[in-house]
Amino acid sequence: MIRVDARVCLGCMSCSNVCPSQNITRSEDSGRRTVHWKRCKEECDLCVELCPAKALSLVPWDENIPEPEISFDLVACRICGSPYATLPMLQRIESTLPAEMQKDASGLEWIRICPVCRRDVEAEGTVRQMVLARSRK
Amino acid sequence: MAVYIDINRCIGCRSCEVACQRVHGGHGHINVHYVGDYAAVPVLCHHCQEAGCTMVCFSGALHKEGEVTAFDVEKCTGCGLCALACPFGVVWTDKLAHKCDLCQGREEGPACMATCPANALSDDFELAARRARERSARAVALGGRR
Repeated sequence: MIRVDARVCLGCMSCSNVCPSQNITRSEDSGRRTVHWKRCKEECDLCVELCPAKALSLVPWDENIPEPEISFDLVACRICGSPYATLPMLQRIESTLPAEMQKDASGLEWIRICPVCRRDVEAEGTVRQMVLARSRK
Repeated sequence: MAVYIDINRCIGCRSCEVACQRVHGGHGHINVHYVGDYAAVPVLCHHCQEAGCTMVCFSGALHKEGEVTAFDVEKCTGCGLCALACPFGVVWTDKLAHKCDLCQGREEGPACMATCPANALSDDFELAARRARERSARAVALGGRR
């Protein structure tokens, strides 16, 4: 059986993706992601090995332990408002990347912006340069 | 090596998106974004020197190979951290991560570049730099601010 340390689980998609028996399910609805670990008798420990947070461990089979389930509120993009990531994942990014990388030249905290809006910001920034270059004529 | 964009040439036709998806089995890595109704910008992997995606990748699937930000699909668990660590939003994940591989294994080089009807994409840094210099020189010659 799998034991989950809810304090360190990031709510990422690693374990549910790598489980060969699909014993770990992930569902997302209205800004919430829920990960559910079914009781599993397999000897395999792929999910344990491939957990980025080392939140999982294998424990002996016990019918009395309820199946672990954790829900995460997804963080909303600061620009478009769409939920795009769990808070622990963003905190992990913020603690891994060097501080000078976490803001762009205009001071924008891009980590709290969803990938689609990041591309929009990038496109707008590039176009601004082009317009500036043309207006110098 | 990376693919450089000359947005003065981009006509926003999205041919690069189609070409990229064709090469990568429907999982494209280049997105054309429109700014107002006057400009289009293809946004794709910059192959950053200090790449955030490689820093957060715990399994070593994303790594630097010289100038290229390379991806080893065998090591990827699809955790999704790389997509959140990319400042340009050009890495995405479903069950696996997807990002520009510069059409590795394709002899003719990146398909987006070959397809672009407006010659807006190129992997030649000197060409991109020369075009930019020419434009500035022209602007100055035409009496612009210096």
